[in-house]
Amino acid sequence: MRVIWILAKTTFKEVIRDRILYALLLFALMLIGLSLALGQLSFAEQERITFNFGLSAIHLASVVLSIFIGSTLVFKEIDKRTILTILVRPLTRTQFVLGKALGLTLLILTMILGLSSVLALVLWGLGVKIPLVYVVILLGLFGESLVLLGLTLLLAMVLRPILVVCVTGGLFLIGHWQGSLNYFAEKDPAGALPYIAAITRYGLPNLERLNWKDLVLYQQDIVWFDKISDLGYGVAWALFCVSVAALLFKRKDVS
Amino acid sequence: MPLLTVERLKKSYRRGLFGQTTTVLNDLNFTVQSGSITGFLGANGAGKTTTMRCILDLDFADEGEVRFFGSKLDLAAKAKIGFLPEHPYFYRHLSGVEFLEFYANLSRAWKPGVLRDRIQYLLKRVDLEFAQHRQLASYSKGMLQKIGVAQALIHEPELVILDEPMSGLDPDGRFAISEIIRDISKGGQTVFFSTHLLHDTEKICNELVMIRAGKQVFQGRIDLLLRADNAPFELLWHGGGQAKTEVLPSEAELQVRLSKILSEGGAIVEIRRAKVSLEEVFVRLAMRESET
Repeated sequence: MRVIWILAKTTFKEVIRDRILYALLLFALMLIGLSLALGQLSFAEQERITFNFGLSAIHLASVVLSIFIGSTLVFKEIDKRTILTILVRPLTRTQFVLGKALGLTLLILTMILGLSSVLALVLWGLGVKIPLVYVVILLGLFGESLVLLGLTLLLAMVLRPILVVCVTGGLFLIGHWQGSLNYFAEKDPAGALPYIAAITRYGLPNLERLNWKDLVLYQQDIVWFDKISDLGYGVAWALFCVSVAALLFKRKDVS
Repeated sequence: MPLLTVERLKKSYRRGLFGQTTTVLNDLNFTVQSGSITGFLGANGAGKTTTMRCILDLDFADEGEVRFFGSKLDLAAKAKIGFLPEHPYFYRHLSGVEFLEFYANLSRAWKPGVLRDRIQYLLKRVDLEFAQHRQLASYSKGMLQKIGVAQALIHEPELVILDEPMSGLDPDGRFAISEIIRDISKGGQTVFFSTHLLHDTEKICNELVMIRAGKQVFQGRIDLLLRADNAPFELLWHGGGQAKTEVLPSEAELQVRLSKILSEGGAIVEIRRAKVSLEEVFVRLAMRESET
């Protein structure tokens, strides 16, 4: 566990000092700023627009961070050959993958916490009381980022980064459109759509289960059991992907 | 006692999905003896880097056996090995001190207080004290090579493996690295390093493993190789009031010539065996191998 923590800390430190991360953060902060401006254009819904737009900015930033940094996390180590001096140390390859995954998880968590604090300040400035549902939605976003991170790590074991980004981007869209896909499959039971829907339902993660923004939109009550089971679903997917990635990495040539 | 034993190592790579298979290592055998500075010599593309990666399980060999300290490369063996790859790249955003701390902690080598002293000692040894708090992104190539050597030594390994440590360095950098290698050896550690620079090998190593096209063509002491490898004899003799010098290519011819000179009343002044350079031996061995 100690070795995994050392690798995670260094991964965190290395990425947090990278300029690309700051560009992403700046972009997300600009979106939050824009949410304030857009809210002011509205007559009656300023709070809700600012809230939704701000959450979307955090969502976008966490998805981009998971996919783009996750896709190059191990590839860069191999490409830059930094991995060579690490793998000859007394640690296993599984520990290496887990350390990398944990480092990026910490980074995503830090970014979500940082950006959500900024949004909370904006809302506080508008005189809005921060509801508990805000924290619950952020937890869902974090869960989704974990699933995407797991998928990118897994795909990065067999594909090059650009392909990993494309495929994970596709899985992200499918993951959010599974409800629509199931709806159309029910409407057309004779075609191929039901089979495709079944494959995506059982073979790919349903990211809509972690999208809880509706709690605000429809002012629903939080059903804790559902939320905990959905979060467990996301964590299980992430763990499954990271485990398969570690398994593939065990016998991978790193040259 | 051999610290490293490599037996029948084979490795092939396939280029692309349906590409041709290239055999890089072909039944490679050698050993590295405890306390030696063993040079691993071969031309570019001979398979040196692939060998390094296969023995350290960075790439997986198709066949063969590798034993460190008498057993397979497990975590206990890894703790006793230091490694510097060819053209090393490190985490650019770490400072020199952070970088060495990271590798020491990965090796579970030192307690915090002792580690600080160890890092300072190594930074001094590789002459990088002045840059210890600078990020590695600002280091020159020579400085990176030196900090790379320091990371390989941070946990006081018994065996230090260096892949082309002097490649691409200027003469000052090469000299500094060769001094460090000598120092490591004086400290009782074993050094195994690959190179294609014959001059440096001749100066630093006492043992040599030479490979060509993924096969070993020589293994043994470098002084014996340079002395015994068919070096010609220089014969200085005195006869008929004159001093004469002759060069004889083999011992048999020398014996015949000596008998003749002595039977004719001449006097032998000196017999010297010329020292061949490693470059000559390398070319000769490479040619012999390509003929077979």
